[in-house]
Amino acid sequence: MSFFKRFRKKSPWILHYNAGSCNGCDIEILATLAPKYDLERFGVINTGNPKQSDIFLVTGPVTYRSRERLVKLYTQMPEPKVVIAVGSCTTTGGVFRGMYNVEDGIDQYIPVDVYVPGCASSPQLIIDGVVKALEILENKNQEIEKPFKLFGGIRQVGTKTSRRDMAKKVEPNRSDDDQS
Amino acid sequence: MSALMTLLAPILGGFVYGFERVLRARMQRRQGPPMLQPFYDMFKLMEKRTIIIHALHVVLGVLHFFLLWVTVGAIFFGWNLLYVIFLHLFSLIVLVMAGYSVRSVYSHLGANRELLAMVAYEPVLLLVAVGFFLQSGSFEITAILQDSSHLMQMPLLFIALLMIIPIKVKKSPFDVVEAHQEIVGGVEVEYSGIFYEFLYMARFLEYLFIYSFVFLFGGDSSILGGFLVLIVFFLINLVDNATARVRTADMMKIVYFGAISISVINLVWMVI
Repeated sequence: MSFFKRFRKKSPWILHYNAGSCNGCDIEILATLAPKYDLERFGVINTGNPKQSDIFLVTGPVTYRSRERLVKLYTQMPEPKVVIAVGSCTTTGGVFRGMYNVEDGIDQYIPVDVYVPGCASSPQLIIDGVVKALEILENKNQEIEKPFKLFGGIRQVGTKTSRRDMAKKVEPNRSDDDQS
Repeated sequence: MSALMTLLAPILGGFVYGFERVLRARMQRRQGPPMLQPFYDMFKLMEKRTIIIHALHVVLGVLHFFLLWVTVGAIFFGWNLLYVIFLHLFSLIVLVMAGYSVRSVYSHLGANRELLAMVAYEPVLLLVAVGFFLQSGSFEITAILQDSSHLMQMPLLFIALLMIIPIKVKKSPFDVVEAHQEIVGGVEVEYSGIFYEFLYMARFLEYLFIYSFVFLFGGDSSILGGFLVLIVFFLINLVDNATARVRTADMMKIVYFGAISISVINLVWMVI
């Protein structure tokens, strides 16, 4: 197993999710992947498929609408995985902090490994964050990581671990304030 | 020699895929990933945690890879060309069944498109095989490779083959089957970890399968065959970088009215 461990940081595949961002950070992420900054030289591919990716790049303060998908995508990613919060909104809530419809950053919901600041954060900072995340990825193991909220639990079905109901749905009738 | 080639076929295909990624990056004035990148990806996928939908789904995926491997081996051993084409068809049918066996919508869409693409390119492959038969009197690959170059007698069939290569290697004018931005890879969407690796390697084998058809046009001179493969490889990547994706219906129209009609014209001309 230790032989394959060294290849983790040579082929990180990215899943990019917009949790209610203004698209500023998303444009910078696309610029990072485009020819000028060329993140593919580190082996990075933007897969768009949670089941095949290693790095979860999230932008935007978590809006009430997007939190369910955020947790769902996070639980669908196989371990080892890292989460990068790109932009001020994602790390703290940014200018939207304290507003009635946002959740003040993704670390309210899922564990975050690297915070990338900036509004919008520049491609150089994003590359720096991804390279930092690769160091963290190398020291992780296959243990299942759980979200902080909306966690539905892991079941044992026979000898297999089922993560089918790991992401709980937001119940429509409950008031949003007592979610935790 | 051919046994060794067959055993090393996935590794050979991996080098082809790695070289292609570098070539594509250089065409876009990028540095691109290292040549060995496909192998890094494979080793990384080995120790990811695997998520399985149900057992049949992953078994069909692995079966797809091994059937393709047998197909490529059959080419290296110089079997009958018709066997090769039908074995390849069988391996893709297995993949389509895997696509329909899960409830994911993207998987179903990918399987639909895979079937349509098969309907589009399979007649052309058969017509090319018939062309080789008219030329050398046999479907055996060893017999085809003993004649002199077939390029002069079947130029239109060669162009028809060029038109369907992008469908097979999932390149830009005809990459509706995979369409990463649209249906997230199609059939392969529900695979993860070590089982995705089999589909990833199956892609390398598809490269070897379709480019060996180009090699057959060289006939007994393997230098001409290799030269043709290099030229076609470069051309396909150039077209991939320069064009946008067409819709499935348009792909069918282009292949049916373009490729099939010119290959029939070529066959009629050869018979007369």
